[in-house]
Amino acid sequence: MKRRSVFKSLLGASALAPVAAAQTPQGSNQPTADDAAKFDLTTADAVATPRHKFFSPEQYQTLERLCDLLGPAYNGKPSAKQAEAPQFLDFLLSKSPTERQVLYAQGLNQLDIDARLQKGKAFAALSDGEAAGLLAPLKAKWTWKAPAEPMARFLREAKADVMRATVNSKVYADAGAGLRRATGVNTYWDVID
Amino acid sequence: MQQDYDVVIIGSGASGGMAAYTLCKAGVKCLMLEAGPMIDIARHRTMKAVYELPYRGFNEPGRFPHITQASEFDANVWIDEKKNPYSYPENDPYYWVRIRMVGGKTLRWGRASWRLSNYEFKGKDHDGFGENWPVTLEELSPFYDRVEPLFRVAGKNEGWAQMPDGKITLDESRDSLSIQRFKASAAKLGVPTTKPRRATGTLASSVNLLLPEAMATGNLTIVPNAIVREIGVDPKTGRVNAVHFLDRRNKREYSVPAKALMLGASTLESTRLLLNSRSRLFPNGLANSSGVLGHYLFDQFYVKNTVVAIVPEARGGKGGRTLMGGAGYIPRFRNLKGEKKNFIRGYAYDFGSGGTPNPELLPAYGSDLMKAMDELQGAAFTMTTMGEALPRYENKVSIHPTLKDAWGVPCLHIEQKYTENEFNMAKDAMETGAAACEGAGFEVLAKHWEMVPPGESIHELGTCRMGADPKKSVLNAFNQTHDVKNLFVIDGSAFVSGGVQNPTLTLLALTVRASEYLIDQKKKGQL
Repeated sequence: MKRRSVFKSLLGASALAPVAAAQTPQGSNQPTADDAAKFDLTTADAVATPRHKFFSPEQYQTLERLCDLLGPAYNGKPSAKQAEAPQFLDFLLSKSPTERQVLYAQGLNQLDIDARLQKGKAFAALSDGEAAGLLAPLKAKWTWKAPAEPMARFLREAKADVMRATVNSKVYADAGAGLRRATGVNTYWDVID
Repeated sequence: MQQDYDVVIIGSGASGGMAAYTLCKAGVKCLMLEAGPMIDIARHRTMKAVYELPYRGFNEPGRFPHITQASEFDANVWIDEKKNPYSYPENDPYYWVRIRMVGGKTLRWGRASWRLSNYEFKGKDHDGFGENWPVTLEELSPFYDRVEPLFRVAGKNEGWAQMPDGKITLDESRDSLSIQRFKASAAKLGVPTTKPRRATGTLASSVNLLLPEAMATGNLTIVPNAIVREIGVDPKTGRVNAVHFLDRRNKREYSVPAKALMLGASTLESTRLLLNSRSRLFPNGLANSSGVLGHYLFDQFYVKNTVVAIVPEARGGKGGRTLMGGAGYIPRFRNLKGEKKNFIRGYAYDFGSGGTPNPELLPAYGSDLMKAMDELQGAAFTMTTMGEALPRYENKVSIHPTLKDAWGVPCLHIEQKYTENEFNMAKDAMETGAAACEGAGFEVLAKHWEMVPPGESIHELGTCRMGADPKKSVLNAFNQTHDVKNLFVIDGSAFVSGGVQNPTLTLLALTVRASEYLIDQKKKGQL
């Protein structure tokens, strides 16, 4: 007699039946024991406040204002601040190579210094009009090579980063839900090993 | 446990896959060693939103200092740069872009599939620079004829000498009005235009087009995760007799006997392996009696978005499919008929209609920028330049004296610089492209001529070149090394020059030819 038959005969057919019933409920919508559950998950950004990692409080205030200016809400699309771009950039910079960290830290410091020297107040307190002069390098003609002047280089990087952090956020995706073309969805290649 | 194989193939990408396909179908028993893992396309790929990724699509900072093509979506496809380092001179960066997986770079290639012409094969005859290939278009055409249908290449035949016709599926689609206008403008400047020519299908890879049929013969055995560190040579015969490799996952060392070897590990990996395979017979690297191994590194320089223009009538979302959309190609047109330019050889362009310009290009920020982006949505016309970089002896790879990879294999030091010839060519491409756009009534938003660093085009070629003269080359006309008769090198390292054409189609055709030559030599008892 094979091992499986011996096992069956020891247990008896009636003993196995309840087990089978538990695995595949008759006449119910419950999944079988073989089905893997799938859940609608969310992101940490959606439920929790990220802790600041990189910028000083003064630098962070300058960054927030810069995000306001570079990425305002427009035409039903959320602003950089609504997309929590400042918090995300704080995290990203904490992980970035030193050269980039220096570019950002010095750029934000200099913006604030220039604001205080030229307007007599912190960059974070400037109106849109007052800030325009400090952001003038962003109105220069594009060149392939990054500008040699550190502030112009910083602002160019920040403009691209703020827009990207905004457009790639869940808030932005949710705002675009229902549009004809879904954006930001792509094929992800998983880790193999 | 060992088995008896007729041929060991190193690499499973375009050249390795093509060799396996050709050899196995002819009854040759092959062992394929691939440095990377096997990927299950269905299991390892899923759709994700960018906000689900850990870095919101920015990629992990510092993970890929040289692989600009890597996005956070496909980051796991590209090679781990920390485990696989290399070096270059401090002020001359080289971007070496690699994939280690079964299928190699054919998992992510651009698929453009152009034949080389006799302007490349007989380049020295035409302008006196460099060397001719030891093979002509006429000799290679029957092999192109077989490869193109296999890769389902589609495009348009124009009958131009610099862009040989192919055995392709004809693309008879109608051009959008913006493309028609551009083509008419280019024609007035004497610049030819045509349809793109590309391999079609959802994957078009070694993994789905080559390896399955080779496996079906029962003649192919694939070992993934096999990092080859050295090729062994019999000191009595001077022939390859073994391949030594490590398991990528646990670094366990193995050796396998080899009666014949097809080396297709990719351009620079193949040369690295030959340079690392030193012996009393070959103290400067295997099959390197010429001293040429490692030299004549070149590629095609890329000027990304040489010209970005706006089609005025498409502003404000008024483009639509009739006006906007579609793409095209401009083959080499410079220096074909005795022109007097400040450079030799030539360049090509890819161009496309549609899309929105990168916000970086617009001199604005905040709501002004948003408004401009809305206004220009779908109104862009872009051109990218691909130019011929000349093969020069001084552009080379060598083994670094101390740097080793995570498996203890000595690494490459890579030296390649562009010269005035490439710079002048790029400037000409910028001005000509802008003139063609302006002639079409487009507004040129940005133009530039600065190329990406050498290597970034992923068209690295040469360093183990073919040639008729064993003193000036490593391989003969059939990709067989002059020095070691049972050793063939079948990837891009064999190229003598590169023209402007994407190289994959040519290395596929060369591999079919080399494989059939190997079979013939084997039958004659020459191996």
